[in-house]
Amino acid sequence: MRKHLTAGAVFATAALTASVLAGCGSGDGDTIKIGAVAGLTGQFITAEVAKTAQRVFDDVNESGGINGKKIEYIVKDDAGNAQRTAQVARELADAGVVAMAGSASFTDCAVNDGFYRQQKISSVMAVAATPKCFQSPNIAPVNVGPFTLMTAVLLHATQKLGDKAICNFTALLPGDEDAVREALARWEKLSGQALRVNDMTVPQSGDLTPYLLKAKEADCDAILFNPSEQLVVPWLQAAKTQGMQDVDFLLLAPAYTDSVAKAVGGLGLNVYAGSEFEPFTSDSLANKGWRDTVTRAGAAATAFSQGGYLSAKFLVEVLKTIKGEVTRDSVNAALRDMTPIEDPMLGTPWEFGPGEAHAPNQASKIVRLTGLRWVVVDDTFVTVPNA
Amino acid sequence: MLQLSAAVAGLVTGGAYALMGLSTLLTYRLVAVVNFAQAAVGAFGAFGMVLLHEAGLPLFPAVVCGLAGAAVIHMGLGAVMVRWFSEAGEGVKAAVTIAVFTGLVAVGLRLFGGQHPHRFPSPFDSPVATVGGVVITWTAVVTMALAVLFAVLPTVLLRRTRVGLLLRALSERPTTAELIGIPVPRLSMVVWGTAGAAGALAIMIVAPQLASDFGSQALLITPALAAALVGGFRSFAWTFVGGVALGVLQGLASTVVALQQYRGVLPFLVILVVLLWTRRRDRWDSMA
Repeated sequence: MRKHLTAGAVFATAALTASVLAGCGSGDGDTIKIGAVAGLTGQFITAEVAKTAQRVFDDVNESGGINGKKIEYIVKDDAGNAQRTAQVARELADAGVVAMAGSASFTDCAVNDGFYRQQKISSVMAVAATPKCFQSPNIAPVNVGPFTLMTAVLLHATQKLGDKAICNFTALLPGDEDAVREALARWEKLSGQALRVNDMTVPQSGDLTPYLLKAKEADCDAILFNPSEQLVVPWLQAAKTQGMQDVDFLLLAPAYTDSVAKAVGGLGLNVYAGSEFEPFTSDSLANKGWRDTVTRAGAAATAFSQGGYLSAKFLVEVLKTIKGEVTRDSVNAALRDMTPIEDPMLGTPWEFGPGEAHAPNQASKIVRLTGLRWVVVDDTFVTVPNA
Repeated sequence: MLQLSAAVAGLVTGGAYALMGLSTLLTYRLVAVVNFAQAAVGAFGAFGMVLLHEAGLPLFPAVVCGLAGAAVIHMGLGAVMVRWFSEAGEGVKAAVTIAVFTGLVAVGLRLFGGQHPHRFPSPFDSPVATVGGVVITWTAVVTMALAVLFAVLPTVLLRRTRVGLLLRALSERPTTAELIGIPVPRLSMVVWGTAGAAGALAIMIVAPQLASDFGSQALLITPALAAALVGGFRSFAWTFVGGVALGVLQGLASTVVALQQYRGVLPFLVILVVLLWTRRRDRWDSMA
């Protein structure tokens, strides 16, 4: 019998063998398979996330693996296309992954939440950006995410900058509206203040001057603006043109990049942004492990890559606690019963836990644009309390 | 008051739309192609300029290189049109440019990155005056002046000069023009090159105030086509008016709470209304 199998394997391709084995749900291959859905091509490119996570797993493998078993990290590119996102998740499930780590796809949560529940796959997500990522029993992101970050940045404006008239300009993505409203309401409850202007109709392209004029007329002290890097640059340039040097511009993590600093650093505006983790531009001790890993991975040192590093690291720590076979079930049980992990790169301990939804990271540091660089304003995390 | 400010701010965007619309109209009037790829070609030139400038090339040579790059790409598209589609109908030609548009956007995103912004140099950024609470910069003035130039120059060229006459013959009856001895391929290459460079110049000037990614810039073709349609794909003056009016309308729409979220749809609405209006006397059943 064994001979027959071996003979068969000679004729089958390695990939086919792997998928057949996994299809049986045995999971008892030679390796522990971990998957990730990433954007390696397309509009939203997050190649550095998977690269950094890969380095973490390689390090584990080089020092002997998990209970003698090597980790096999399978990264699938979804090119930011929802159909591909669904397809690659099924490919990963067929390949027999025991869990996901380091996913950084914009569409992953909305598309695959149901599939992960059905297949009992847990995802320790690196970069979560849509509401669904924080509302699934099977997904626990390591990053703060755009919604809690809104609350955190607004709290910084009211508590530390002393701003009174706060205005919000949001470009909504489909499905985001409720989460944005909740984040704003949470800040209103915590601060006891109300937004002077709340405009959630900002378009993703075109001239933004009319919105700045509205803010100017309302005499806003601080303006929160959520869109991507591409829109932040013309937004701040138009603000400079309109002479809004005395306003605090509050931005979210997508704006916290070196290219934004280079593009708009010279405008002389007050620009603040929330970081998802310990700010990646900081040479602090907290960042040492990540910086070393990302350098050895040859990946770009971005906030996204911090997510890749942490998600891989946390999953490895949980895998190490498993006695016996590493399967989807044993990984799920270990994630459910884990002790929260304190990490200096995060302001709150990270845990997966048994809940119906997970948003363990509730803290951000604030960086300020100084010259052509982002500089940490205050070395403590702004932790968002439960409202 | 806010309405006035928003309308004034909209003038600037309107100038940009007009500029893009006029260079699209230029292509149409001279070589009879509704070019959906006009803005994408322009964006290629503009991004080429930014990359060269970031690499240390002074602004002026970088701009010249960008314009030349866009001209060459546009001439390539022109060569395809002349070689294979010179006898094809306008619909077929437009479909070819849509295919080229899709291709250019894919290549552009790959080459120039969809995510990280580039700093588009804005040499005309200093303020000129404050009108209705809006600070007007030299960029706005230059955009407007250039748009007027783009509107006047081709009109004069086509109506008053011999080259203009040849160009009109070329666009309306290419085969006849060739038969009576007009050097059609050479002349149309010059036209394609010029229109490509004009589109790139338009994008370079408006890029700093709009989203600075390749995709958004390539999509400027929508308001451009709306503007050209207001001019009935004939009149440079009305295309100018159409572009500016569209910009002002968008500015105004952002101040009306009930309308602001539909701001992005305005170009399409204008296209629809203009089409319905110009076709009002047609018998719809005979159209097919």
